[in-house]
Amino acid sequence: MEPKVSVILPVYNVGKYLRQCMDSIVGQTLQEIEVICIDDGSADDSPQILQAYAKKDPRIRVVCQQNQGAGAARNRGLSMARGEYLSFLDSDDFFETNMLEKAYQKAKEAKAQLLVFRSDQYHEDQDEFVKVNWTLRKGEIPPYRPMSHRTFTGNVFKVFVGWAWDKLFERSFILEHGLEFQEQRTSNDLLFVFSALVLAKRVEILDEVLAHQRRNNKESLSNTRERSWQCFYEALQALKGNLERFGLYRELEQDYINYALHFSLWNLNTITGAKKETLFERLKEEWFEALGICGKEEGYFYNKKEYEEFLEIMS
Amino acid sequence: MAKVSIIIPTYNVEMYLEECMESVVNQTLKDIEIICINDGSTDGSLSILKRYEKQDPRIILVDKENGGYGIGMNIGLEKATGEYIGIVEPDDFVSLNMYEDLYNKAEAYGLDFVKADFYRFKREETGDMSLVYNHLSKDPEDYHKVFDPSANPQTLRYIMNTWSGIYKRSFLEEYHIRHNETPGASFQDNGFWFQTFIFGKKAMILDHPYYWNRRDNPNSSVHNPQKVYCMNVEYDHIRDILMEHPGLWERFKGMYWFKKYNNYLGTVKRVGHEYKREYVKRFGAEFKRGLEKGELDHSLFTEASWNRIQLIARDPDAYYQLYVLSPVKVVRLEAKVVKLEKKIGKLELKAGKLETKAAKLDKKVKSLEQKNRSLGKQLKHIRGSLSYRIGRALTYIPRKIKQLLFGR
Repeated sequence: MEPKVSVILPVYNVGKYLRQCMDSIVGQTLQEIEVICIDDGSADDSPQILQAYAKKDPRIRVVCQQNQGAGAARNRGLSMARGEYLSFLDSDDFFETNMLEKAYQKAKEAKAQLLVFRSDQYHEDQDEFVKVNWTLRKGEIPPYRPMSHRTFTGNVFKVFVGWAWDKLFERSFILEHGLEFQEQRTSNDLLFVFSALVLAKRVEILDEVLAHQRRNNKESLSNTRERSWQCFYEALQALKGNLERFGLYRELEQDYINYALHFSLWNLNTITGAKKETLFERLKEEWFEALGICGKEEGYFYNKKEYEEFLEIMS
Repeated sequence: MAKVSIIIPTYNVEMYLEECMESVVNQTLKDIEIICINDGSTDGSLSILKRYEKQDPRIILVDKENGGYGIGMNIGLEKATGEYIGIVEPDDFVSLNMYEDLYNKAEAYGLDFVKADFYRFKREETGDMSLVYNHLSKDPEDYHKVFDPSANPQTLRYIMNTWSGIYKRSFLEEYHIRHNETPGASFQDNGFWFQTFIFGKKAMILDHPYYWNRRDNPNSSVHNPQKVYCMNVEYDHIRDILMEHPGLWERFKGMYWFKKYNNYLGTVKRVGHEYKREYVKRFGAEFKRGLEKGELDHSLFTEASWNRIQLIARDPDAYYQLYVLSPVKVVRLEAKVVKLEKKIGKLELKAGKLETKAAKLDKKVKSLEQKNRSLGKQLKHIRGSLSYRIGRALTYIPRKIKQLLFGR
């Protein structure tokens, strides 16, 4: 019998957190699951930890690959998955034990192709859970169903976040459209998530905190963006390509360009080190133009502050 | 092949069904098929239909589990084999010559669809009937001529209904025009109607009422407060269809928002008080988004409506306070504003006239001044001329004497 959910977990040098993560997966109250762990060439004891779990639990499969990044690892997992729904988790986060049960139940009930649930942040340094509202903006979600991107009343790309771990994806829907993760170091899930979002005819939400995202983790990818500072731009360009292919670019152009500005500024403002200057110059000289941000009137932008920031960079 | 297939989607209408069926089976156009879809009625509707089915071989009865209006209608459309399709709601009825007249028109002009004016009626408890004649268009010029709705979005201003006309079946098939099938939803005739206009190339409207639309059935979805967001679902569906076809959305988006506005206003009135506030909030959020994306066409709305849209988009709570909680006052104020605007208009007209008058006078003054100047020049010229000076010299003495005698 096919599992209800396939959990796909790329693992890379997270020995420190992996047990907490794995415990919260194998302990899920929804038991009809499979867990596909892809070790992405870890140099620490991550593969050994995974093997130990696999020995105890027949639902777990472990694959090892040379380091190719989480995007490639997720695609590998995707190709192996047999579940009705797909859950792509991150190995430094941890989850409520009923996360998959609740999410799956809601998704089934709504025949959802994409389900998004709420999450919060775990700030490790302060040992604190912090609420976040921007991962699921309720005000822009219709009070009726069916719900698709066209029924949102705000920028389609800002109603949810372009990461995969707080979502369930119907596998047949993903296969029907041949969606894949982008194989790059960071921002590799944006293309996959937003493509699914604009293609899904039935999107559903579950407004309950079911997952905890670990923050302030020095080894986490978002802290090493200095080495992959151009990935976000590749992700934006790939998304544009997909929107065009789906015949949705014209309809979503304004949302896309606004999001491209937002995401560029976020990357610029959060990157540290020597690459900040490089990124600043590249945005100014090349990328803002290439992303279609230049030459638009003020009224085109939903967020005046971001527009002013853009003008300042260009001046 | 029957000339017209008449589809009757039926759900719990035992009180009215016989009146409806009598008007259909006795049509003067005999070459028809009558497709009755019983959508899981829980009253005596099915047995009434069965009785008619036995008596009239032209009747096709489909009995199905309850699934909603759209699904039932689509089954009827799939079963139909006639040249044209007509739709009769089972609590309404039709004039006996309706399908003969409409068929003849459609055939004579090769129409995709033809529609006629209609009555809305209520039956009082005394048995008296109150009738209101509904014109599809306010402009008499629009009638009895072939028009192309696909090229004229403004024709979507004609009153929305799907049942006062007939549609060529090959036209419906070419564009696969069907109803939305979302279960439990209502108002699924809106999407069908919208499609007939965006795809239709040859159509006509007639200023003769053939269809009698009942307005006193308490079970009608028009009166159902539970179905709060059905109109939104239907308009989402319509947008999906427009966006499937390149160019259609661009051409029709203005009218889409115009129709949506009027239907949402109707919904605010229709739903129960406990839903109104939330509904207005969603109403505002949708229109705010439409404004941001530049999809609304200002020129289609009256100034009063446009101002309302601005308010509901910017501040739905204020709109709710003003138009939902104290609508009478506001309507009075709005009427006053309209009156004052009219007055201002008249005064402006008057001012304009006065200005032209002033301009004319100004011109006259200028030309007189010019004349005056040229006369002055002439005078100077005369004074400087030799004959003038000689004349003066000759008349010097007599003038002096005259001065001495009479003074100056």
